[in-house]
Order: sequence, then C-alpha cells, then structure tokens
Amino acid sequence: MTSKLSLYLHIPFCVKKCDYCAFYSLSGVTDDVKQEYFEALVRQLDFLETDREIQTIYLGGGTPPVLGVLRLCKLIEHIRTRFILSPDCEITVEVNPKTVDFNDLSALYISGANRLSVGVQSANDDILRSIGRIHSFSDAADCIRDAYRAGFKNVSADVIFALPSLTAETLKQTLELIMLTNVDHISAYSLQLEEGTPLYSRRGSLVLPDEECEEEQYELICDTLKSNRFSHYEVSSFAKPGFESRHNLNYWACGEYFGLGAGAHSFYKGKRFSTPQSVQDYISRSRISLLAPTDYDASPFQTDYDLYEESIMLGLRTSRGAVIPPEKRNAASRIASLGFGTFDGVTLRLNSKGFRVSNAVIAEILG
Amino acid sequence: MTDINKIRNFSIIAHIDHGKSTLADRLLEYTGAVEKRDVDEQMLDNMELERERGITIKARAVRFEYKADDGETYSMNLIDTPGHVDFGYEVSRSLAACEGAVLIVDSTQGIQAQTLANAYLAVDHDLEILPVINKIDLPSADPEMVKREIEDIIGIPADEAPCISAKLGIGIKDVLEQIVKNVPAPKGDREKPLEALVFDSYYDSYKGVVVYIRVVNGRMRVGDRVRMMHTGAEFEIVELGTLSTFNLDKKEYLEAGEVGYFTASIKNIADTDVGDTVTLCDNPCDRPLPGFKKSQPMVYAGIYPADGSKYGDLKDALDKLRLNDSSFTYELETSVALGFGFRCGFLGLLHMEIIEERLEREFMLDLITTAPSVIYEIHKTNGEVVYIDNPTNYPDPAVIETACEPYVKATIITPTEYVGTIMQLCNDRRGEYLDMKYIDTNRAELHYLLPLNEIVYDFFDSLKSKSKGYASLDYEFKDYRPSRLSKLDILLNGDVVDALSFIVHSDRAYPRARRICEKLKDNIPRQLFETPVQAAIGGKIIARETVKAMRKDVLAKCYGGDITRKKKLLEKQKEGKKRMRTLGTVEVPQEAFMAVLKYDDE
Repeated sequence: MTSKLSLYLHIPFCVKKCDYCAFYSLSGVTDDVKQEYFEALVRQLDFLETDREIQTIYLGGGTPPVLGVLRLCKLIEHIRTRFILSPDCEITVEVNPKTVDFNDLSALYISGANRLSVGVQSANDDILRSIGRIHSFSDAADCIRDAYRAGFKNVSADVIFALPSLTAETLKQTLELIMLTNVDHISAYSLQLEEGTPLYSRRGSLVLPDEECEEEQYELICDTLKSNRFSHYEVSSFAKPGFESRHNLNYWACGEYFGLGAGAHSFYKGKRFSTPQSVQDYISRSRISLLAPTDYDASPFQTDYDLYEESIMLGLRTSRGAVIPPEKRNAASRIASLGFGTFDGVTLRLNSKGFRVSNAVIAEILG
Repeated sequence: MTDINKIRNFSIIAHIDHGKSTLADRLLEYTGAVEKRDVDEQMLDNMELERERGITIKARAVRFEYKADDGETYSMNLIDTPGHVDFGYEVSRSLAACEGAVLIVDSTQGIQAQTLANAYLAVDHDLEILPVINKIDLPSADPEMVKREIEDIIGIPADEAPCISAKLGIGIKDVLEQIVKNVPAPKGDREKPLEALVFDSYYDSYKGVVVYIRVVNGRMRVGDRVRMMHTGAEFEIVELGTLSTFNLDKKEYLEAGEVGYFTASIKNIADTDVGDTVTLCDNPCDRPLPGFKKSQPMVYAGIYPADGSKYGDLKDALDKLRLNDSSFTYELETSVALGFGFRCGFLGLLHMEIIEERLEREFMLDLITTAPSVIYEIHKTNGEVVYIDNPTNYPDPAVIETACEPYVKATIITPTEYVGTIMQLCNDRRGEYLDMKYIDTNRAELHYLLPLNEIVYDFFDSLKSKSKGYASLDYEFKDYRPSRLSKLDILLNGDVVDALSFIVHSDRAYPRARRICEKLKDNIPRQLFETPVQAAIGGKIIARETVKAMRKDVLAKCYGGDITRKKKLLEKQKEGKKRMRTLGTVEVPQEAFMAVLKYDDE
C-alpha cells in the first residue's frame, strides 16, 4: 500500500500583479494561452500514475479564477474521475475577491472544491489600494459570505501585516472585521519587501513598521485569534478546531506532493524538483510529453541528511513539532527553557513566542 | 672585474606617493635595463599588495648600466627602501649600503614628514643627497617654492635640483648625470678581509634564502665559507652575483663596492638578519659593521582562524610568510573564547595589516584579530620586571609596583590650518607637546611624545581625516615611562571574553569602556535571549549595554510547497553561524572583534 499523495496545481495568472508580489505570475494573458495552459495541465495530470490515493488538492496561484472558473471546475472534475480520492479529500481553491461571484463559487463547490482561500489582506481600503490590490474590503467580505452561501464550510482568509502605514489600531480593526465574517482559518504573513517589485522601488516614500511594530502586530494577531478560539498550529496559520489546512500540513510533515504547472514544486518519490517558471515553456513541454514524473528522473534523491534537515526545518514550523536527535537535545532544552516552547526529551514544539524566532531556533538546532 | 670608481650605489627616498617607484621605473627604462613594454606597472614594487597600496614593503635592489656624457659606462645599483614608518630600521640598512640618495619631493606638496625623516636618515649615514623635484607637469606644481623649502628645512643646496616628471619621463637623464657626478664612488679595500652588509633577504624554495648584500671591503667568491657575525651562523657560498631587473646574474665573485646577492643553502631566514655583517670564516674582519639592531616587534595581536578547524592552515600560512619576513614573530596561544591561535608580533600597525591581508588573500583564510597591544613593562612588587604583550597575562594590580608603557617621538607635518585640531588630537591621545616649527607660512612641523598604545588604534586614520589627508606622520621609539594602566575586561552575558580584554590608561578607561560596549551592542546580532554587554576593571562593572532579545524572524509565505527559499535562508543562517564564534552562550560575528579595534572619536 503506497502512501497518499497531494496535488498542487499552479495557475500563474493574475488580473493585475499586486505591488508587493515577487512570485512568478502573468497578467493580461489571452484566452487562447489560458486554454493552452489548461490543456497542458490536463496532459500533465494524465502522465501521473493513478495508483496513489489523493488526500488533498490545492489550486493556487497567481489567481486561479483568472484561468476561467469553468476550466478550474473541469480540472477538479478531471482529477476526481481519473484518480482515487480519499473520502475526506480536501480541495482548496485560492481566489481574489474581485475574481469570483456567487455563481462562480457555486460552480466550484458543485464540482468538488470544499475549501476556499480568500485573499483579504486588510480591512482598510486605503491600504489595499496602496499595495495595488484590485478589491475593497467589502468585496472580500461579500466573497466570504457568498462562499458560505454557495455551500463551502471551510473558508480561509489571508492577511498581511507589517504593511506600510499599518498601525496596530488598523490591524485590530481588520482582525475584528474578519472575525465577523466567521472564517474558519487565517493565514497571516508579514510583508516582505522584495527587490524588483513596485513597492520596493517606492520604499523611500513608505512608512514601514520597524521590528518592534512588526513584533507587536504579530503578537496582536496571535492574541486576537487565540481569544477567538483559533489555534496557532503553524508559524503563519491559525485555525478553528478541525479546520487546519491538511494540504499545508502535508508540506510540513514532509509528505509527498506533486506540483503541476509552470513553476510548481514537487516532493515525489524521494526527490524534490520543480518545473521552470515559464508558461510558454510549460505548454511546449506538455506538447512533447516532457512533464511526466519520469522526466524529472535526473533530479537527485534527497539524502538522508536533507530529509533530516527538512524534518526539523518544516516540523518546527508547526505545533506538532520535530523530533530532536540526541546530540541536539541540550539546545532544545535551552530553547524550551527560554519560553519558546516545550521539549519532552524527544519532540520540540514551539509556541507562538517560539514561532516568531523559528528561523533562529531552526538554525540553532541544525547549526 | 668592475672598476670601483665606476660604481654608483644609491637609494631613492621620498614621502609616500611622491613618485619613488615611478622614477625607479623610468631610470630602468631610460638605461635600457628594461624595455618600455616590459614596464607593466612599477617593477620595484612587485608584491600585489605593494602595488595596491603604492608603498614598498620590502627593500629591493637592481643593477643597471649607464653610459654617461663623460663617455664612461657606470655600474649603477639602485637600492629601494621600504616606504613606511614601521620599517625605519630596514630603511636605515638600505641606506647604509649606499653612498648617495635621490630625495624626491613632490612639487605640488612640498616636504612631508617622511621626506624629512628619510632625509635625516640619509644625513645620518653621510649620504650625498640629490634633491629632485617631481611632478612638474601638474598645474599646481611650484618647483621654486619646493627648492626653497629643501634649502631652508633640510639645509642642502637645491638650485641644481633637476625638475622632472617621472610620470612623463621628463628630466630622467639629468637625474642619471647627477648621480654619476655627485654620488661618490664607493670606498673600500678589495684586499682587506671580507665585510659585507646584509640589507635584505627572501626565501626561494629552490635556493633557500637569497641574501642581498653590499660588499664593503674584501671579496666574496663561490665556495667561500662565510660567517654571519651577529647570528654566528656559517655557510658555504653556493651562488652569488648581481641583481638585474627580473633575475639574478650569476658571477664568480663580488668585490668591495658592489651590490649583489648570494645563496648558501640557508634554510632559516632568521639566520640572515638585516644589518648583519658577512665575513670569511678563515680570514674574518675585526669587527662587524656598525648599526646592527635585532628588529623588535612593537605591536602584538592575537590572530585566530574565524573557523576554529582552520588552525592548521593558519599555522602553515604563518610558517610560509615567516620564511620571507623575519621581522614578524608568532607563537602559539590559546584563548578560552577563540580556541587555538597565535600571538603575533609586528614592527607596527601597517606591518600587521600587511600580514593580515596576505594571510587572507594569499592563503584564503578568514581571521579574527584581537586588539593590537604594545609591550608593557611591569615592575612587580617583588622586584621582578616582566614584559606583557598579551592583556590576558596582565598581572594582578596588587603585585604591580609600577607599570610602564612605551612612548614614541612623533613628527607631524601639517598645513597650518589644521594645527589646532591636530594638537587637540594629540592631547586627546595623551600626547606631550615638545615643540613646533613653521616650515613656511603654510606648514608646520609638530613634535609630540605619544604613548605608542594611543597610536596603534586609529591615530593615523584620525590624523588623516582631521587634516583632510594633508598631515603626515613619522615616529620612532623613545622610551618606557611609568603610567597608570588598567586592564579592561569585556563580559558577554556575564562571562569574561578573554580575547576582548585590553590594557588602557586609567583616565581613558570609562569612555573607552562605554564606547566598546556600544560598538559590541551594535555588532552583535540579537540573540534568542537578552544579552548584557559589560566592561569591567577588576571585578567592577564600569559600563553596560544590552543586546535585546530577538523579536521576530521573517514570516514569509512558504508557497505551494516551494521550500527552496526556506532552505536558502537556512543555508544563509548556517553560513552566517560559521562566521560567528560562540562565546559561552553568545554568538559573536567576526565584525564585532573588528569594530572594537577602532576608536571613532565622534
């Protein structure tokens, strides 16, 4: 019996790229290209062996609805007919509030999607505009409401903090307003000013929060969400009981996943590999049948040491923690004694305070 | 055999950047010793580092022939001199091998501190000084003013001084003619027992040590058994000859008046001290040539590999450098904080920087250097006198009767407008004013007694920045003087870090302590916990800063299972950790050690 597999489908299209985004994504793509890309995804799905039970599916981007909601539905249905899905298979679609309406959401739900991840980012329209988001907060709130009306029972909201001009007060309002939408899950990220982005080139004129403010905002998020019965189960993720993202947990647990689409990453049969970040290249490769798992055979196997490092690095991101090897147990005890988590002699589990400094903790254990 | 009357042995002396190496190149070019196309850059400075810094670190010598206007062909030996105050003794030995010195003065800058220091050295050695005014091609050149300066300040006639541009090759012949006419031929008796002065040496992996000498009296032949009169080492000459531009010209013998080299399968460069006298074992001269000094390191610092496991590599590198530089010393030391390393002795700060840079560049080593220390003379209550070059070994104050520190006599030449700020600087550095002379209406020559300890930090940098680069400095060791000294310890998270301890004048302890704590605070990254940085004298804490606990890491999105960014971050952090030393529980980057070496007066 082989272990279960997760699928990630990458849709690198957006209506308009946000000012802070450094990920690979295209805007203004013609419908012909979208159709070709869709066909390429279907072809790549068909290269995959069907002997693995699929436990989670994630359609991410970019902005998946920009591919066309109908095509998304077809992709989900294609997967459902071709593969054996776990009975509780989690199928997430990522959306931008302005890109889907009630009918779209219903269609997605009917085709099998059961989790929606909505890019809310902030409840302050001035801030949304200033970072180049194409929607207002009411668009986001409507989208979440429509999702529940359409049948979704698991909706997540993305929030960005440490944004230019974002004060603790505004963030507090954002969190309160998001709580009113009754979402089940929150992903909170701090803004990264990435070179080459419009925001980066404007950085001189921005009021960016300093380390203390950023810290304060992160704490505010942790505290607010905890008092609203969310558990802090991963560095950036908060969920009501039972609503943890199983797709993401699979990443942190070093579970296997196959990524489809331009720029998608995989951890499959002991290898980590990715597809080049080019839609054109992806389409051409799919035409000459170059995207089967065997085409990635040249990628090296993860060494035992890689696997060990990853198990620590990824495990410590979650509240499940990581098993610490004997020679690092002193370091782990010290970290726990500094109030960053608990250590039972085998497993180190970080708490909210520890998540904040997780990179340093990881470096401490692996250094 | 070379007619002794047709030999001219001379040096070129100058302040830094006044054109010494350029003139040397032009002389070689003009006389055909090198083709113009061979002149890549300056030939006499052939260490990469020397070219970059524009200074000569080691002496070099070269022989060339010149057919003068009188129809005779002369054998010219140009002996280069190191161009920095740290190498004063080496300069004096090079000058001792000559009869004349070409004193170059930049016609746009006039006389500078090292112009004077070198000119006085040349006078001390009874050399014929030939002033040469350089850089006359520059718009701001004022040759007449410079000539007057030379006459007024150094007191030698300058009306005949050639006005040249070494860069453009103008006036080169004049310089050569003056050397032939005015530099006396060497005196020396070729029939007397051998006396030869060692003025430089280097290590060659095939020949062993190659010794540069000036034969003063007598004759040296291949096969002769010779003795180094000071070290007592004896060797049989394997090869000898004169020095051409790019290689060694083998000869059968060298005679009084000549400059050349010999090899004798010498393994250890310490057997051939600069300034030593070579004589024959079976027919020795009565006494060695005057002026020999064992070169003594003035400044000490601990050198440690940044990565503790590279200790062996560091040792190999030091062994190799030492082959070519007997003036630098090293011995094993251990530090609780830094592990195994070496306590190294240098002639001065520049010398230290050169060794560090060569270790890093030529041997690809990452180093941690501790604060440079001078040698303190401690008179203990039990009558014992100890010399301390490592703050860690500083005795308990209870057993110290008197602590003495070395003083130097410093000569500073500066445009008059900076006299005030420079006097302030010297006062701040505990200088004792001696006197001041006006060189002309624009420039003054200041003399101060300064503790060497105050100079080894960043005196030279401060001097330069306070005078917009115009002031120049020269100094020589004066004596040891009683002083009030304290050993300052630095504590991180409550533990003393031995590698950061240093000795400081008691009056300066508080401000230094505060400044160093601040600097450490700025240079130590936030740790997982709050980390106190303290400075203490004895058990008493006199300054404190706190490195705050780390607040947060990057909480970026880990997208679509793409863990490559996280991995890169982890690799970066691991790489960063390698450049850190864990002192107790605190991680300290290399930069923190560097930062405490600088004062920063502001």
